[in-house]
Amino acid sequence: MKKILTQCKKELIQFRRDRLTVALAYFLPTLAIILYGFATRLEAKNIPVTVRNYDIGFYSREYIHTLFNNGQMVSVPWSGTKDTDPLDLGKARAVIIIPPDFSRDIRNNHSASVQVLVDATDVNNARVIKNSIIATSQYFLRSGAMEQQKNLIVPQVRLWFNPGRKESLSVAPGSIAVFLWIFPCLLSTLCISREKEQGTVLQLYASSITSFELMAGKALAYLLIGISQAIVLIGSSCILFQLSFVGNGLVFALATILFLASSVCFGLLGGSRTNSQSAAVQLVATTGFTTSLLLSGFLYPQRNILFPLSLLSNILPARYYVEACRNFFVRGSGFFDQFYILVALGLAALLIFNGARKVMSKMQLSS
Amino acid sequence: MDYAIQLKALIRKELRQIFRDRELLFLLLFMPVMQITLYSFALSPEVEHLRLGVIDYSNSTTSRELIGNLVSNMVFDLKDAGANEDQLANKVKGGKLEAGMIIPPELQRHLKSGNATKVQIFLDGVDANTAGIAGGYISQILAAFNNKLQSGSQSPKSAVQPKVTYLYNSGLESRWFFVPGVLALVLNLVSTLVSSAAVVREKDTGTLEQLLMTPVSSFQILAAKVIPLSAVLMVNVLISLFVAVVFYGVPFRGNFFLFMAVSFLAIIVGISIGIALAAYSANQRQSLLTSFFINLPVIQLSGALSPIESMPQFWQDLSCLDPLRYYVTCVKAIMLKGVGFQAIWPNVVILAVFAIVFLSLSSARFRKQLA
Repeated sequence: MKKILTQCKKELIQFRRDRLTVALAYFLPTLAIILYGFATRLEAKNIPVTVRNYDIGFYSREYIHTLFNNGQMVSVPWSGTKDTDPLDLGKARAVIIIPPDFSRDIRNNHSASVQVLVDATDVNNARVIKNSIIATSQYFLRSGAMEQQKNLIVPQVRLWFNPGRKESLSVAPGSIAVFLWIFPCLLSTLCISREKEQGTVLQLYASSITSFELMAGKALAYLLIGISQAIVLIGSSCILFQLSFVGNGLVFALATILFLASSVCFGLLGGSRTNSQSAAVQLVATTGFTTSLLLSGFLYPQRNILFPLSLLSNILPARYYVEACRNFFVRGSGFFDQFYILVALGLAALLIFNGARKVMSKMQLSS
Repeated sequence: MDYAIQLKALIRKELRQIFRDRELLFLLLFMPVMQITLYSFALSPEVEHLRLGVIDYSNSTTSRELIGNLVSNMVFDLKDAGANEDQLANKVKGGKLEAGMIIPPELQRHLKSGNATKVQIFLDGVDANTAGIAGGYISQILAAFNNKLQSGSQSPKSAVQPKVTYLYNSGLESRWFFVPGVLALVLNLVSTLVSSAAVVREKDTGTLEQLLMTPVSSFQILAAKVIPLSAVLMVNVLISLFVAVVFYGVPFRGNFFLFMAVSFLAIIVGISIGIALAAYSANQRQSLLTSFFINLPVIQLSGALSPIESMPQFWQDLSCLDPLRYYVTCVKAIMLKGVGFQAIWPNVVILAVFAIVFLSLSSARFRKQLA
C-alpha cells in the first residue's frame, strides 16, 4: 500500500513539473468544450431559401409571407438562370417554385401545388426543411380561412426535460463525456510511455515493486488528476451552458469516478503496449477520439449505429457515461433506472486495469 | 545542373524513408479506409424507431387507427407502456421510451358529438434534434388523420400541396453526407501528421544538422520534403476516393481532375501546417501534442460533421479562417452536386491563397531555424 502511495506521489510531482502537460490537462479540455458546446449544432436555423414566384395573385404573396413567418427560413433573392442554380452555387438550401395558376386554383377551391427543391447533401436538415414547409402549408390552409374546419383530434405535444429544444443541453453533457474520456487517458499514456522511452522503467523492473503496485500507483495519481479535470470541465460547462444538476448526484459522482478510472487505465494499457510516446499518443488519441466521438451516441442517437458496430458501441464506457451525463444534467433519472450504467462502468474499469497490469507484468522478469 | 541532381538525391532519400517507415505507411493506407468505414456506419441522423408507449383509455377503433397511423411509417415503434400514466412517465424519465401518448376515454364520444379531443403526447427532449423532427412528423400524421376523419373515406384534400424533391441525394442516404466530409478531414489529419513527423524526426535524431553541413540549400531540403510527401498524399486521396465510391456507393458526379487539383491545394495546406508545427516544437512529443490544439478547431469548424449554417454567428465567422472548410465545401460540391469550377471558384481561390500563405510562412520559419 505504501509503495502505491509513493508511486502516486512521484507521478503527481512529475506531472506538476511539465508545463505543456499541465496546459494539456486543463486548458485544452476547456477550449474543446467551448468549441464543441457552442459550435456543434445539428439543426439549422435561418435556412436560406429562395422563392420563384410565377403567380401574381394575392394568395401566393400570403403563402410566401407565411413561409418566412416562423423565422426558421430566411429569404434570399433569386439569381441565376436554371431552377437549380441557387442550390448548385450553395446560395440557398431550398428553392420554392410557385406556379402561375396558384392563386386561381385556390380561389376556385382546387388544390394548388408548389414545387419544392431541397438540397439534400445535408440529410438531417433536408428533413427539417421538408417538415417545415409541409407544416407551413398545412397552417396556411387553416389560417387562410379556406376550409373552416375544426380539428377533431388536437395533439398536445410536450417536450420533456428540454422544453425549449436547446441543443446545448444535449451537446454539452455529451461533450463532457467525450472529453473526460480523451484527456485523462492521454495524460496517463504519456506517463507510462515516458518511463519506457527514457529507460527509467528498467529501474522499476529491477526494484521490488510489483506490476500491480506500479499500475495502481500510476492509476491513482492520474485518477486524482482526472477528478480535478472533471471538476474544471463540469464547472466551466455549468457556467458557459447554464447546466444545472437535476439528477441523482451520488450516481453521477460514482459514474464519473468509474469512468475516469477506465479512461486512465486505458491510457496505461495503450502506453504499456507501445514503445514510444508518439506511437502511444497516436494510438490512444485516434482510438479514443473516434470511438468516443462516433460510437457513444454523442452526436446522433446510439440506436442508429448499424449492426456490427453497434456491438462495439455497447462495450464502450463512453456510451454509458454520455447517458449518465444526460441523466444528471437534463433528464433527472432516479437511482435504479441508472444502475446498469454503474455496473457497466465498473466492469469496464476492472477489465481494463487488469489488462494493463498483465501487459506490464509480462515485461517484468520473473523472480 | 548540380541543383537538380542534389534535389533528386534528397527526394530519393525522403521517399525511401517514407516507404521504410511501417507506422507511417499504415497511417497513410489504413486511416482513410478505417475512418470512412467507421463514420459511415456509426453516424446516422435517421429519425426512426423511436420507442413509443401508448396508454389508450378510449380503446376504440379510432384510437387504434390513430396508433396504427403513428406506427406505420417506422418513425415510432410501439413498446410496452405500463399500466397507467405514472408508469409511462417513469419509463420516459428512465430513458426506456422516447415518446409517450395518452388517449383520453372520451375520444369516441367527442367524435360523435363533433367536439375536439385533446390527445397528450410527450417527447424526450434530451436529444433536441431528434425531438424536433419527431414532433414535426407527429403533427403531420395527425393532420392527415384529422383530414381523413372529416372527409370520411375520401382522400384528404388540402389547399396547398408542396411537392418536395430532394436534389443530389434523393434517397436521403446519410452516408453521402458524412463520407465526403470525412474524406477531407482524414486527408487534413494525415498530411499534418506525416509532414510534421518527417521534419521533426530529423530534428530528434540530429540529422538535420548533418544535412546543413552539406552543400544543399535550405530551400532544397524543404522542397525535397514537400514534393514526395504531396505525391504520396495524392495516392492517399485516390485510395479514399476509391473506398468512398466503390465500397460505400457515394456518387462521384463532378470532374475528376478538378477534384484532384483541389485536393492538391488541400494537401499543400496540410503539409504547411505540419511543417510549421515541427518548426515550432523541439521534439516529436511536443509537435504531436500541439497538433491537438490546432486540429480540434480546424475539424470542428470545417462543417464536415455538423453544418456551418447552424453554428452561432461568431463561430461561423471564425470558420472562415479554417482552410478545411473550403475543401469540405469543394469535395461535397464536386462529388454530390457534380458542379464545375464556375460554381466553386471562390472556394478554390481562397484555398489556393491559404496554400501559398501557409507554405511561405512555414518555410520561412523552417529556414530561419536552420540559418
